[in-house]
Amino acid sequence: MTTLLTGRPFSSARREAGFFSALAPRGKAVLFALAAIAVCALFAFPVFWLVLTSLRPGTGVYYVHRGTEFTIDNFHEVLSQEIVLRALFNSFMISTVATVLSLGVTATSGYMLSRFKGPIPNTWFSLIYIFRCVPYVAWVLPLYFVTQRLGIFDTYWGLLFPHVAVHICFFSWIMKGFFDGIDPSMEYAAMIDGCSRWGAFWRVAMPAAIPGLTALAILCWLYTWNEFLFALILTAHETPILTVVMAQFVHELGMEWHLMSATAVIALVPALIVTLFGQKYVVRGLRI
Amino acid sequence: MAEVVLTNVQKAYGPVVAVKDISLDVKDREFVVLVGPSGCGKSTTLRMIAGLEEVSGGTIAIGGRVVNHLQPKDRDIAMVFQNYALYQHMSVRDNLGFGLRNRRVPEPEIAAAVARAARTLSIEPLLDRRPRQLSGGQQQRVALGRCLVRNPKVFLFDEPLSNLDAQLRTQMRTELKELRLRVPTTSIFVTHDQIEAMTLGDRIVVMKDGVMHQVGTPLELYRRPVNRFVASFIGSPAMNFLDVDVACEAETFTLSCRGLRLALPSRAFPNLGSCVGQSVCIGMRPQHIRLGPPANASEVGFKGTVMVTEQLGDEQVLVVRLGATDIRVAGVDPDLKLATGSELEAAIATANLHFFDAE
Repeated sequence: MTTLLTGRPFSSARREAGFFSALAPRGKAVLFALAAIAVCALFAFPVFWLVLTSLRPGTGVYYVHRGTEFTIDNFHEVLSQEIVLRALFNSFMISTVATVLSLGVTATSGYMLSRFKGPIPNTWFSLIYIFRCVPYVAWVLPLYFVTQRLGIFDTYWGLLFPHVAVHICFFSWIMKGFFDGIDPSMEYAAMIDGCSRWGAFWRVAMPAAIPGLTALAILCWLYTWNEFLFALILTAHETPILTVVMAQFVHELGMEWHLMSATAVIALVPALIVTLFGQKYVVRGLRI
Repeated sequence: MAEVVLTNVQKAYGPVVAVKDISLDVKDREFVVLVGPSGCGKSTTLRMIAGLEEVSGGTIAIGGRVVNHLQPKDRDIAMVFQNYALYQHMSVRDNLGFGLRNRRVPEPEIAAAVARAARTLSIEPLLDRRPRQLSGGQQQRVALGRCLVRNPKVFLFDEPLSNLDAQLRTQMRTELKELRLRVPTTSIFVTHDQIEAMTLGDRIVVMKDGVMHQVGTPLELYRRPVNRFVASFIGSPAMNFLDVDVACEAETFTLSCRGLRLALPSRAFPNLGSCVGQSVCIGMRPQHIRLGPPANASEVGFKGTVMVTEQLGDEQVLVVRLGATDIRVAGVDPDLKLATGSELEAAIATANLHFFDAE
């Protein structure tokens, strides 16, 4: 009480606090900014180098940091190759269809894991868990034989099925987490309000899970777009995929880094658009 | 409007029996409250009536029709949940109209019903907002509105006031009572709060461990609890219990335990005759104990030591030690100064003594 009335200890304490608080946040902010710049640079530098390489003539790719000659001929050359255009189209189609199919199954599977108890969800959960435990690369050879046997090797389906299967195993858990975060009494209310169980899922739980679904869709699309191993083993000339076509610029006659870089930059654009468009949804969705 | 009849209803989750053999007859337009501690099976019972849980045994009938195998949507009920359960992606207006839209009611009728419900609950200005933008009390009103628009046969309430702060809970309780007068629909209300049960219910069902212990009006439960659990659950502060040994001397029953000896005329308590030589439990409501010696023959007195005094402003609550047991005495003059450790004399009318089996 006395302290407050006389004011002295109170005001001097405030002055000291003011001095440090004036300095501390600014110092913190500077440190934080420097750290952020360093991390960004770490990630951006390879991309910057890639873009620079794609703009250099074939002879200058080893001296990217020294040369001053820039050209867009690499892009011309790459885009004039039919296989690159086909690969672009195929990659886009496979990524999109795999995303749609995966989300269709993942949403229902995640919902089941979240809401139902019993032998079927338990078995399903164990199955996913076991699949998740097997190393990714171990699937490649069996899948090669299976797709050969089914006659779907080097077709859309031959690549779609494995991708969808992997996504289901990966994302059912995440989707379960989203649905766990949604209050089930909302669905009970819908069931009392005239919906069937399926109606409650479709009309109430799904709209509530949209941020999560959007996040998963973006992750799923980017994952398929960037995937290399399955594409390399399960496709050939009939269904060229962009990541594989990119790698084929390294061949027995040498390495065409400039063309590879140009293709990579082209591949980067849709991924960049999806990321920029979806960033806020990913952050919001994964926060649920 | 309809009556709800539960006949030998059971619910088992594997070997665990959550609800044991409940039979209850809720009359048309009656407001029945299921009350009990957590895990007593009250919410499970309500969810079985709603159709959200399957019934393991027995039958549930609404309006004379057995509904055991009907989907929740076909039972013509409405339910308010503890956490409101509003559809977050819809506006308040769409939340209210959702049930009618599912039943393919024409849009003009939906709009009229929504407007009517909004007017009844004074939520008209909120109709275009999302549930996220509303306070707890407003959300609860919307949840009530969602029930009102459909004009169902039965309202089910699953602890609807539990998520509200104390002040708002009291206010909503009053609003619910007012609403009942305007819309007298058969209602079943689940709560763990005995004050809500006492203030809202026409009849109260007290449950514990899946068993129905007593059904009665609030006053019946307060005045004539059938067992120690009901007696302890209804009333605040809770009833005092003392385990005493019963002896019979001439025309008097003597009830004694360490530090207490009560003499009761045997004519007034014929039932105690069968308990002579055994232990019984005496129940005394804190409000029925009066400080001072017995005023007349209809009262019995005892002495104790003041352990704690709790000042509530309009009254004091004393914790008094009788032998080895502490009891509470309520309604003590707030200006009365009582030091801890001081001896006092108290009395209670014998008519206000309750007797239960000793534990």
